[in-house]
Amino acid sequence: MPPSDAPARQSAVLDVKDLKVFFPTDDGLVRAVDGVTFSVNAGQTLAIVGESGSGKSVTALSVMRLVERAGARIAGGSIVLTRPDGSSSELTSLSEPEMARLRGREIAMVFQDPMSSLNPVFPVGDQIGEPLRIHRGHSRLEARLAAVELLALVGMSDPLRQVDAFAHQLSGGMRQRVMLAAALACDPMLLIADEPTTALDVTVQAQIIDLLRELQQARHMAMIFISHDLHLVRDVADRVAVMYASQVVEEGPVDAVLGRPAHPYTQALLSCIPRRGELRGRTQRMQPIPGSMPSAISAPAGCRFHARCAHARPVCLAAMPVLQTVAPAWSTRCVRWQELTP
Amino acid sequence: MNAMPGAAGEAGEGAAVPLLRAHHLAKHFAGSGAAVRAVEDLSFELAKGEVLGLVGESGSGKSTLGRLLLRLIEPTQGRVEIDGVDISALKPTPLRQFRRHMQMVFQDPYGSLNPRMKVGDALTEVLLLHGMSSRATARDDAVRLLGQVGLSADFLDRYPRAFSGGQRQRIAIARALAPQPRLLIADEPVSALDVSVQAEVVNLLKDLQQSLGLSMVFISHDLSVVETIADRVMVLYLGRPMELAPTASLYDRPAHPYTAALLAAVPGAGRDKRRIMLKGEVPSAAAPPSGCVLRTRCPFAIDRCARELPALRQVGPGHYKACLRDDLEL
Repeated sequence: MPPSDAPARQSAVLDVKDLKVFFPTDDGLVRAVDGVTFSVNAGQTLAIVGESGSGKSVTALSVMRLVERAGARIAGGSIVLTRPDGSSSELTSLSEPEMARLRGREIAMVFQDPMSSLNPVFPVGDQIGEPLRIHRGHSRLEARLAAVELLALVGMSDPLRQVDAFAHQLSGGMRQRVMLAAALACDPMLLIADEPTTALDVTVQAQIIDLLRELQQARHMAMIFISHDLHLVRDVADRVAVMYASQVVEEGPVDAVLGRPAHPYTQALLSCIPRRGELRGRTQRMQPIPGSMPSAISAPAGCRFHARCAHARPVCLAAMPVLQTVAPAWSTRCVRWQELTP
Repeated sequence: MNAMPGAAGEAGEGAAVPLLRAHHLAKHFAGSGAAVRAVEDLSFELAKGEVLGLVGESGSGKSTLGRLLLRLIEPTQGRVEIDGVDISALKPTPLRQFRRHMQMVFQDPYGSLNPRMKVGDALTEVLLLHGMSSRATARDDAVRLLGQVGLSADFLDRYPRAFSGGQRQRIAIARALAPQPRLLIADEPVSALDVSVQAEVVNLLKDLQQSLGLSMVFISHDLSVVETIADRVMVLYLGRPMELAPTASLYDRPAHPYTAALLAAVPGAGRDKRRIMLKGEVPSAAAPPSGCVLRTRCPFAIDRCARELPALRQVGPGHYKACLRDDLEL
């Protein structure tokens, strides 16, 4: 049985509760993340999906405590990292030096654009070995040897030569492999991948997704996979959290949520993406979601999706729906889910 | 290749008379080293009212081809005929006049709309430039154009920055349609948009294409989107055509390993389903492999593939492929 069916019996590596992240701006307070709760277990991948502006990347950057640099404030909630020995850290209360000791060692992150994360003037081997020199006190030679091994691990051909390559000499897919090698250097408990394949061609994306999945399982790592692509999530994740207007609107096992969605937004988002053979021909039309996502400055009362929802009733405007349990480890923020789910 | 791969007959009555003919088009970009062979010896036809999808990964030459078709760049070889006019031979002034018949929509509407020009002015400018309106009627015509793309007259006096990505793409489409072109080239028109907005813009393009009888080349890396809008699809790799077929045949019965690999790599196939995987990444277009350009990544390559350049040949009704092997189960 995949771990997704038994989250309660597994220990959560990361436990995020009621997280709120706000950005003060001239136009008002942007509530980029507004009461987000989720957890990820060892050996499990949680995908966070949503459209641009839904709050998915800010959520990821908050776990890394990188949002404060962008002018945001963690306004509430908790982010708890629990180690295999049972010790844990409340990340929201760590100082920057404490966080720096943890970043790249216990939690690592890969981003969409490896070119801007790689330093153009140092060989990639230096950058892969850097976390080992910082966190583990490796010598230059030890770090270099480890970098060669890591490059082989991420499927780079000729790692002995590539260790001395510069970022600009590598293709997009190889750069992303290098970023992954650097992220895995210290054997993190949690890997956060923020749209790691969005800039890649589909055939290369398929290679990187397979690699991510293999490494995550072989190392029994917890992974948070941020994506705008619901179909891609099917290929990589055990569980999925769907974000809309700074909140999680549905969370559960990936096959359940994407197969029998229990929130009208998840349903609508899925029907925007045509399936093979479904919308061919001149009379077939795609089904967009009417309207647009509400501003994160002035979220509407009640359900945040109600203005765009084909199933909205007065009850949906009365109060913000709390997360309702659809099945064990599957929840939706819709009060009408039972009537709407076939 | 005997005849030029023509339309599949899905496009209706006009299918016999092509709107566009590309003859042995090539584009090489000279650089410090060997020239980049962005497009190599490409020939095809587009019927009146037909939508041709051009798909391929980065470096496939699809965007270069789009620009060649409109003569936004000069071909190294070959020529393009639109409605019987050899646009490759037109002098600057007649070419400028002919441009109203062929318009383009780009991926990034930010880049194609002047940020300092009100939407109304951007539209009336094009209408006046191509003599579509008089000073007296231009503003009314602009309102009509906005209506055509689903936007209200309130948009006229606002600047592009006031709009969402989807609204900006609608404005870019209105501007492209202003001179009532016969040919529209859409280069990744929805790639920068969220899926719900993509669906809106694809529906709009589909509606306009049909109501106006537009001939369209729809360029995209996204096979799912192309499937919903194209009558026929041409798959490009390293500047060469791999496969050309009516949409249903191409997606249901891909005949080329590259098409099969692209389809298998579309996300959502399921993590346990074994794919036809391509090895490595696209080689440099400055030093393409000998023979079949796909052979360095193709799981089915044999010795012959390195020696022979496969021609595009017919394998079914309107279905062409450039692969030497006929013994593959794809």
